[in-house]
Amino acid sequence: MKQVVINDLKKIVGDKWVDQNPERVLSYSRESTNDNYTLVAPEPIEGSVVVKAADAEEISQILKYANQEKINVIARGAGTALSANTIPAQESIILSLERLNKILELDEENMLLKCEAAVSLGDLNERLKSNDHLYFPLHPGDEGAQVGGMASMNAGGVRAVKHGIMRNQVLGMEVVLPTGEIVHYGGSEGKLLKNNAGYDLMQLMIGSEGTLGIITEVSLKLYPEPKANGTLIVAFASREDAFAAVPAILKKGIIPMALEYVEKDEIELAAADIGKKWPAQNGEYFLMIMLSEAEEDDLFEIGAQIDQITAEHNAVDMLIAQTTAERKDILEIRSHILPAISDKIIDSPDVTVPRSKLCEYLNILNELEEKYNTRCPVVAHAGDGNLHVIILKEAGSKPDYYESLKKDIYQNAVDIGGTITGEHGVGEMRLEYLKMMYSERELEIMEKIKDAFDPNDILNSGKSIIRK
Amino acid sequence: MHIIVLIKQVPEMDKVLFDSEKGRIDRKSAGVEVNPFDLNALETAVAIKEQTGAEISVLSMGPNRAEEALKEAVARGADNAYLLSDQKFAGADTIATSASLAAAVETIGAYDLIIAGEMSVDGDTAQVGPQTAEFLNINHAAYVSELISLNESEITIKTSLWQANYSKSFSYPLLITVTKDINTPRLPSFKAKLKARKAEVKNLTLADIKEKLKIDKVGFKGSPTWVDNIVVPAEISRKTKVFSEEEKESAYHKIKEILIEKNLMED
Amino acid sequence: MAAKKELLILAEYSQNKIHPVVFELLNKGQKLAEKADLNLSVLLLLPKKIDFSELIAHGADKVYYMEDPVFANPDEFIYKENILSFLAKAQIEIVLTGATNFGRSLAPRIAAGLKTGLTADCTALDIDEAGNLIQIRPAFSENILAHIKSDSRPQMATIRYQEFKKGTADRSRQGEIIALETKIKDNPNLKDIKKLSDREINIAEADIIVAGGSGVKNGEDFKLLKELADLLGGQLAASRDVVDAGLIAKEYQVGYSGQRVKPKLYFAFGISGAPQHLAGMKEAETIVAVNTDPSAPIFNLADYGIVADLYQVIPELIEMLKN
Repeated sequence: MKQVVINDLKKIVGDKWVDQNPERVLSYSRESTNDNYTLVAPEPIEGSVVVKAADAEEISQILKYANQEKINVIARGAGTALSANTIPAQESIILSLERLNKILELDEENMLLKCEAAVSLGDLNERLKSNDHLYFPLHPGDEGAQVGGMASMNAGGVRAVKHGIMRNQVLGMEVVLPTGEIVHYGGSEGKLLKNNAGYDLMQLMIGSEGTLGIITEVSLKLYPEPKANGTLIVAFASREDAFAAVPAILKKGIIPMALEYVEKDEIELAAADIGKKWPAQNGEYFLMIMLSEAEEDDLFEIGAQIDQITAEHNAVDMLIAQTTAERKDILEIRSHILPAISDKIIDSPDVTVPRSKLCEYLNILNELEEKYNTRCPVVAHAGDGNLHVIILKEAGSKPDYYESLKKDIYQNAVDIGGTITGEHGVGEMRLEYLKMMYSERELEIMEKIKDAFDPNDILNSGKSIIRK
Repeated sequence: MHIIVLIKQVPEMDKVLFDSEKGRIDRKSAGVEVNPFDLNALETAVAIKEQTGAEISVLSMGPNRAEEALKEAVARGADNAYLLSDQKFAGADTIATSASLAAAVETIGAYDLIIAGEMSVDGDTAQVGPQTAEFLNINHAAYVSELISLNESEITIKTSLWQANYSKSFSYPLLITVTKDINTPRLPSFKAKLKARKAEVKNLTLADIKEKLKIDKVGFKGSPTWVDNIVVPAEISRKTKVFSEEEKESAYHKIKEILIEKNLMED
Repeated sequence: MAAKKELLILAEYSQNKIHPVVFELLNKGQKLAEKADLNLSVLLLLPKKIDFSELIAHGADKVYYMEDPVFANPDEFIYKENILSFLAKAQIEIVLTGATNFGRSLAPRIAAGLKTGLTADCTALDIDEAGNLIQIRPAFSENILAHIKSDSRPQMATIRYQEFKKGTADRSRQGEIIALETKIKDNPNLKDIKKLSDREINIAEADIIVAGGSGVKNGEDFKLLKELADLLGGQLAASRDVVDAGLIAKEYQVGYSGQRVKPKLYFAFGISGAPQHLAGMKEAETIVAVNTDPSAPIFNLADYGIVADLYQVIPELIEMLKN
């Protein structure tokens, strides 16, 4: 990065907040993708600079400057992205939002929490602990994840069955547009439950992976905290049985907080890695069902229904965790699968299919395993039809069939009405597969939308959408 | 073999709020659950039961709602549940609690082993186990982190005392308090939990245990200690002092000062 | 004139030495004894008599001891039987003992034997206007401090190690050394006792933590941090990024997905201060952060920050501490 640019940036944010130290720039350039998918994650291009802005005003000035100088800007949160969404592919201004870390307001009447972009999920939950009846349901896994990133990535995670994903939780936002204007969505206060005026640009911003604007504030929907909580672990001897039980449960009108699918090898590794023990001793394939009900009687009534349904699908065991610590342990183990197995895997496409097609997709996976003579472990947000299909290393390295297997995983999902990514987004790693999903015309519209927001293509250029 | 496991119902600590301004503990949003250490105690008993066919009784002193904690224990493998409950027990300190529990143990009948958790998460005292042993005039081992071996006449445990690990072998009867390291409590099966919701809990009142009691009064009146006052420390707020590279030396002196002030320097 | 009543420190003699908490209690005990008009005495049970002059130099007016080979092992039952036989006859107003594992296992038995009050794991002590002991201790998983009083005698408390300072020795002090008879030497229920190993400490219990983050370049370099930790009697720890990068084992990790620690002093070397890490250590009493990046968020939380390279700072710190 040219010295004159560095000097200009220092004028905007102050000397202290501009960092060129190569080691630190590198650490701000790498994200979870690099830690977990070491063989396929792109390495950052050198020469970027880290800038830590204080507020939306400074961000606005930086973006205006970047437009003038035609420098790429990448908004950076906790770095928990998993599709090379924030790794610089060119010399960039890495705009770290870490100083925007304040929780602004807990509004009980509107049941929302307004906070700056860099408030982490952990901080948010800590703050809500001191409130006796409101909580935030989403749990994408890493509690270090920040709300700005969660919104721009439209994060999902385990607790999305009942209340939906990030898109369903955001009531308002403050965003700095690529051209530097500061705008507010969800009304000037960001507190609207309904807003039918014009195109919904806020929803467009959610999931745009930092390509359409920089989110500086988010208002998140809160929910009344259920009193009777229980996590069921249902064990099965076969994958098919476990998957078949999922639509059967939901069909009965049971809506759990989370309905997860995990396999023995991975979950036991994850548990051991954090010094804990996976509670189930029987079975190889598990459904983890988090229930949240008003009364304990309801919890057990629903539990009994699930017990019956899963028994019809040959479940071999069903355990229940009710204490806070035990439920937390299970969630922590589940959240730790990816880091625990990262040295064994190459990639894990997070394809999503209609829930009713889970079994069909599983049969396809079985065929793929046979075709490539490999094993594809699966971790799934089963209640959402969202699978993480794991592509394993062979003898520590990338097998020849990797590209071809990955393509089959994506194409087969799309063919049965699915998508190439349910939550991790496109980033750089899934760009080439977007064509499986969309026609030329649709891709062209996306490109034009990008142009409308960011005429000079300075914001996270080359990520999320295909440009000609 | 008859094992008695001591259980306490405690507030869910995650949800208890502490108000530093008013010096108050607010439990209204917190539910109740089995003291986490007691689940390790119960798991120890269940593992012995699986090995030897022992019978497990669980005993808790507390209000009526502590029945729930006992039912949880039944779901996890206890055979009999006893709730020692009487308004007169209210406000008991560790002496009054231990004396009452010891009397209840003797009322329940013959036993070989008593297992308790290392401490409760609300009291943090770790005293009730050893004190119950004293009132029963039996041996105890605290901080047990492993059950090395066990047969009909003898038990060998690992404990941590004197900054070292010791193995001790005892004949029965014995009371042990276990640490979290001893095991990972297993989850109850849903069916067992469902069934245990209807389990019978035998009630013991002061009148039932009075004959065995070794102190004159129970509850607050039988307690030699009382809480005079509580203080909720304010959240730590820090004023950061940053030293530049040139000021390193003064920073080192500051570190030395802190070490001395905090009593962390060996002399 | 009737003899003054006593404040008795029940001393732990383990690993062939007097546990250092005893000297801390002597220092505090002197002040309490003066305020409550008591004599300060120490009771030791040990396998073989040692020189007790250090105890007297640190404030003991009387040293009681029982000498018997049976005290070579931590058998609470034998200890309490003999201590109870002594306490039954003595004029003791206050009994203090260190809240070591042995202290917290033994003291409750003695209190129950005397049917007197005992307060566990105190962090502060005082005497009120009426001459009663005020015992201050954390409770509710250390979220509150409870002030506790007792209406029975002796008033008993176990006190945490390293809460009070050791005083300076006064070699001119005179004190009385009194041998006591070991009355009970047999515990028929204890069939065997043997030492297995010295205990390893985990980071959640450590008073000092020396933690490294991405500023530590490779796994080998954690040895440098370990050297500092060892010198301070502390424990090594790490932030998530270096654990994820495989530089150090997961058990050292502090943070949301690692351990939550509450040491008296936390050194953060080359740790930027991601929220993930801060969540695990923000309750440390004092935080010292060393980082080359002046804008690292850790500097917003730390009590003291040094903007410098850990590879310079650590050797210099080690050097200073060695002198």
